[in-house]
Amino acid sequence: MRIKAPVALVAGLSVILAATPVLAHHSFAAQFDRNKPATLTGPVTKVEWINPHARFFMDAKDANGKVVSWEIELTSTAGLLRRGWTRNSLKIGETVTVNGSLAKDGSNVANATTVTLSDGKRVFAGSSGGEGNTQ
Amino acid sequence: MKTLIKALGAFAILGVIVPFTSAQWPAFATRGVPRTPTGQPDLTAPTPRTMDGKPDLAGIWDNGRNTNIPRGGATGGAGGARGARGADFNTAPSPAASAAANPGPPNATFFNVGAGFSEGLPLQPWAAELVKKRSADNSKDNPDAHCLPMGFMQFHTHSQPRKIIQTRDVILIIYEANSGLRQIFTDGRPLPGKDAEPWWYGYSVGKWEGDTLVVETTGFIDNIWLDVRGNPLTSAGKVTERFRRTNYGNLEIEITIDDPKAYTKPWTVKVNQRAYPDTELIEFICEDRDATHYVGAQ
Repeated sequence: MRIKAPVALVAGLSVILAATPVLAHHSFAAQFDRNKPATLTGPVTKVEWINPHARFFMDAKDANGKVVSWEIELTSTAGLLRRGWTRNSLKIGETVTVNGSLAKDGSNVANATTVTLSDGKRVFAGSSGGEGNTQ
Repeated sequence: MKTLIKALGAFAILGVIVPFTSAQWPAFATRGVPRTPTGQPDLTAPTPRTMDGKPDLAGIWDNGRNTNIPRGGATGGAGGARGARGADFNTAPSPAASAAANPGPPNATFFNVGAGFSEGLPLQPWAAELVKKRSADNSKDNPDAHCLPMGFMQFHTHSQPRKIIQTRDVILIIYEANSGLRQIFTDGRPLPGKDAEPWWYGYSVGKWEGDTLVVETTGFIDNIWLDVRGNPLTSAGKVTERFRRTNYGNLEIEITIDDPKAYTKPWTVKVNQRAYPDTELIEFICEDRDATHYVGAQ
């Protein structure tokens, strides 16, 4: 069976994400669809360092070039702290790229699995979408 | 071949995803921790004991997320990238694999305390219907998801650590997740009677049987979720936990749920925990800012 490199990469990513357990607070499956991957790039506009999930807001252009505000869900602040994040890790105005899953209801909300920072570093965001949430 | 490709892909990803390197909080080594010559905590050192000779359960404990604790069959060696990390917080091994590699009761998981039962938990018919409905609802009513206390078992299986403080007459367990707090009275008092005020965490009394702390808990409220799936615990439930610190680094907890209202017979699961020194609990105040955040399933 031949598998193209990008597919292998995605497969590998899914393995890593599955192996990176989650601080699931609510049911990921209740709000997000792992089959709707999100890739969003744009500046951070607001950060809320709260539990059960920290979140930030960003502007990203849609297919028509219109700027749309997105809410990006992260894991708990404790989970982020243990990954080395702090409340100042994301800077307002910093352009980041989020990879994750879109909300089921079509709203501009996504659950982040990784965030790529402006310096190119890609960091785990502690997605609550690990395996096992699909019941 | 597919496994190999996945593994290669995994390494590729590992190469580009990096942790933040900023300091989390002031580094402070836990006092009294046995160390290896290289300064690492010696998890195989003997079980510490209190002044009166009882095993000392005190410390911070982790169920695998932070310490890669082996979980019986979950690390059976064929797990690929997942096995390489050791712990698997969310899933249980197949019951057969678990039984072979991990004698004793099956491991409970955060998402399904009955994951290790090939026939499933012995649910009463109404309870089976309830679990089915909760699954269909994507567990949207899970109390934890609404900043309410976690179900009894969720505290044991949650990936955030917990801290045990042991005195002669009472043992406290502080759960980082949702700031849970349990008191286990070890001063010889009996369990309260049937008219006791029902509590989320029930009322716990413990006694030592040799080196095993046996804790009995009754007096629960009627709508406890034991896991994300929604396996229930009712006011008729009695929980018996057997805590055994086998050495410095390992704590085994066997939990028997005897709840004739929800289950046709008692059942027992196991949760293994590993010492997590040189860290501290992190404050976790749950802010339920917008309910729709949690119940968005349609």
